[in-house]
Amino acid sequence: MDLKIVFTGTPGAGKTTAIAALSDVVPMSTDVANTDASLHKATTTVGMDYGHVDLDDGFRVRLFGTPGQERFAFMWRILAQQALGLVILIDNSRPAPLDDLRLYLDHFAELLPALPCAVGVGRTLECPLPTLDDFADALADRGLALPVLAVDVRQRDDVLMLVETVIAQAEAGATPT
Amino acid sequence: MKPMDSAYEERCRQLTRQLLDSLDGALAALVCRADGIEIAQAQRRPVDVARLAAVASSLGALGDAASREAGIGSPRCVLVDSSMGRLLVRCVGQGEQAVIVALLTDAQMVLGQVWAQLRQAETLLTGSPA
Repeated sequence: MDLKIVFTGTPGAGKTTAIAALSDVVPMSTDVANTDASLHKATTTVGMDYGHVDLDDGFRVRLFGTPGQERFAFMWRILAQQALGLVILIDNSRPAPLDDLRLYLDHFAELLPALPCAVGVGRTLECPLPTLDDFADALADRGLALPVLAVDVRQRDDVLMLVETVIAQAEAGATPT
Repeated sequence: MKPMDSAYEERCRQLTRQLLDSLDGALAALVCRADGIEIAQAQRRPVDVARLAAVASSLGALGDAASREAGIGSPRCVLVDSSMGRLLVRCVGQGEQAVIVALLTDAQMVLGQVWAQLRQAETLLTGSPA
């Protein structure tokens, strides 16, 4: 059985890295040279990332990554079609991580009530604030109760945990309250 | 944002004007960086250039990925053939020098003419024949 999970989130949060860490195949990427000096990275995704992973329980999870910048929001909507769930990755070293989260919540607002979703927060060791509780509070302000996990997207197990969290939500028929 | 050579930016502006002047059916032309930030544009019909630049960069990158996955070499052009017009996206140059040339035309535009103009555009921007 095939499942589709979409990774979205801030530029530099590690969407491409997360998919590469988990995928069983060499991912397809659409990275190009980044010319936005504020992002402090050499390349950036402008189309999509794709990889897949076969889980022990027989599921093949197809992993799609979106571009991060808001000017590519049209790709977010395209890639979210027919998705089983969504992973929002936040980089806690950016200036306003809670505002970053709110941006993605706004763009996916129509889908989130029915779309299983997990939030992965990266670089929490170097930047412990805001805390995971702060993210949970920001979600609660929108009437959402979503899992918020500290992750290192370079670690396959961390990315797998995000994917399994989304699948567990879907299996439980859990919808945000 | 990293600065771009002003002479190069001027060539981009010259190119967009040239595309519009030489093709009757051309509605808008733009050059943007590979990551979707516009450098130069000219238009006969109002278009949201920032949004079109982002879409064009995605199309260019997806065309490149599709060519790679299919094993058909380097993409020359991505064509969106729609009921009321066409959008052509051509990737020019590589790495940090890569730019995207996008041309919006009406539905009657002869594609051969457009290919020829886009080849000339690449020569103008890179200094070498495509």
